[in-house]
Amino acid sequence: MWKSFMAAVLLTSSAAAHELTPTYPEFKPHIVDGVYYAKLHMWNRREDVKYYGISVHDAEWNKIPFHSKHKIMKLEHLEHLDFEVNIRKSDLDRIEFICTTSKHLKSDVTGTGVRSRICSRIK
Amino acid sequence: MFRTILTLGAIGLATTGAWATEIGGSVSSKCSVFTDTTGVYGNPTADELSTKAADGGIDAKVRYDVTLANKYTAKISWPTSFTTSPTLSDAVNWDGETKYSAGTVTAMSGYEAAKTEYNEHTEFALSQAGSTWFTIESEAKYGSNKAFPGGEYKAMVTAICVAN
Repeated sequence: MWKSFMAAVLLTSSAAAHELTPTYPEFKPHIVDGVYYAKLHMWNRREDVKYYGISVHDAEWNKIPFHSKHKIMKLEHLEHLDFEVNIRKSDLDRIEFICTTSKHLKSDVTGTGVRSRICSRIK
Repeated sequence: MFRTILTLGAIGLATTGAWATEIGGSVSSKCSVFTDTTGVYGNPTADELSTKAADGGIDAKVRYDVTLANKYTAKISWPTSFTTSPTLSDAVNWDGETKYSAGTVTAMSGYEAAKTEYNEHTEFALSQAGSTWFTIESEAKYGSNKAFPGGEYKAMVTAICVAN
């Protein structure tokens, strides 16, 4: 009985998470004049997703231009990735959120898929 | 000489007990979004697709894990378009509901009464640390009681975790 219960729990609670840290990243002056950077970390625990997109927004969720080596990141299941987001000094005061959003291949979605997005906040 | 050093070393170890090994760590705020169950559409009538169990479907379920209370808000949206479908010549009317399902802390049951709904979005203030499960129901009705054309239908639920 207990074994059957545990088997059912394991089958229905697969580790499939999307994680972005830190919650409150800080922008620091870049070696390049007029550019600021923030360091973030991604951990892909979603087996069904390999790609994540980065976006930067103001308080009204308008997109703000940024540069990153990984605008679309490819992360295998359980892979970690440190990445940098570079912005112009003139945008520093209006940046509110840095988000990563799961990107799904049409062939990978079954029924209703789940698009996950995590947003860190600049304080 | 060498023996004396060894002996002194052994005495030193004996008096201090052993080498001290420190384990360090810190708890910082973090949000993880888990896909617990990907939903499945049932087709109770020719013009309707629904994830309700009563309609032969399976609701999508997501889990949010937060390590510190009051640091994040969960924003969950039911679908308003298909990501995959046959060519549709008429409009699709979308409906849905996001509900608190379960939590690791008793106080989380208050999330349902405190939720904010607008359009397809539902927001929950994650005021407790721990795991919370939310169920997302989705319904699609084809315009003017027309039958949905045969083929594959897929849609996306969006689960967002925003730092406060």
